[in-house]
Amino acid sequence: MVNQDRQKKIFEVVIEQHKGILFKVARAYCQNEEDRQDLIQEMMIQIWQSIHKYNDQYKISTWMYRISLNVAISFYRKSSKRTKIYTEMNEQTVDALIEDKSDKETHLNLLEQFISELKEIDKALMILYLEEKNHIEIAEILGISVSNVGTKIGRIKDKLKARFSQL
Amino acid sequence: MNELELKKLWQTTNEKLEESFVINKKNTEDITRIKAHNLLGSMKPSKIFALLVGVLWVCIGGMSLSSIYLNSFSEANKFFLFSASIQVGLTAIALFIYIYQLITIFQLDITDPIIKTQEQLARLKITTLWVTRILFLQLPVWTTFWWNETMLTDWSILQWIVTLFFTLSFTFIAIWLFFNIKYENRKKRWFQLIFRGKEWTPLMKSMELLEQVAEYKEQNANT
Repeated sequence: MVNQDRQKKIFEVVIEQHKGILFKVARAYCQNEEDRQDLIQEMMIQIWQSIHKYNDQYKISTWMYRISLNVAISFYRKSSKRTKIYTEMNEQTVDALIEDKSDKETHLNLLEQFISELKEIDKALMILYLEEKNHIEIAEILGISVSNVGTKIGRIKDKLKARFSQL
Repeated sequence: MNELELKKLWQTTNEKLEESFVINKKNTEDITRIKAHNLLGSMKPSKIFALLVGVLWVCIGGMSLSSIYLNSFSEANKFFLFSASIQVGLTAIALFIYIYQLITIFQLDITDPIIKTQEQLARLKITTLWVTRILFLQLPVWTTFWWNETMLTDWSILQWIVTLFFTLSFTFIAIWLFFNIKYENRKKRWFQLIFRGKEWTPLMKSMELLEQVAEYKEQNANT
């Protein structure tokens, strides 16, 4: 029981401190707000069910990215939907972002469109790249070699550059 | 806009959006009430039902056929007996693959690196192809189980032609599909015709994902 309570506390702290990871991954993989909420719920459930397996040889963010990206990439397999939850999103905030209806908005739209067009695993790489994760951490999350991370990022950067040079 | 500016744009946008992203404490607590992963609990009731029906079918069929083989083989209709044995045997193999899939999914570790987990998941999904191949292989026996010895003496040539046409066609289709339903043929038109529709989307997606995984692994080997 003590162990269970301790796990609950750890879970709550981990979710609160790293909710940004869940949010960013869900945003990149789901265009639709309803799907996004389902996805975040699924990520949280998987985190809860895996929390006892956490291995501190990895940073907690590495562990969180692994779970959330694995869930997001596999999300199309889910056909059933659980009862609605948790996340509340103030839609005004999205509008607030567009206050600055300038080049920034155009660039942001283009960046989001670029991400949405990427294949599932490339999308994971792109998120980690934009989050400025170092190559070693990206390699640990994806399970590929550090030099492969460098090559793949190089290619994605080239594509990104090509897309933005069209503006 | 250069690379650094793009990263900054991505990060500041997300920071602003995250500020309004609230995870309700009560709901976090609700999740902690979810019990540890349970194999049966994670299955849809319809799948549990299909699994039970399959197990019952194989058990009852297996026992009945064994009893015929042991006690009344000489009097039994051999066409029915052999057709039914093949059908039950193939269903048992399909069931075995299905149970293997369920156990492997249950043992999968979502905290493993992305490439490893996604490869395992995609490969598992693709074993569904084996179930489909085996189920197609049953086609011909559905045309022979009702045959009997009086056919040999009483039937006209026309009746034989019609019957053999169906049996041989079904046998040809079943064997052809058994050897050709495979990952390598996923882009062929006939394959996509069989596997189109919502219920096959995860299978087709798994194949795409396996291609991506292979691409990453190939690059890994070259670097």
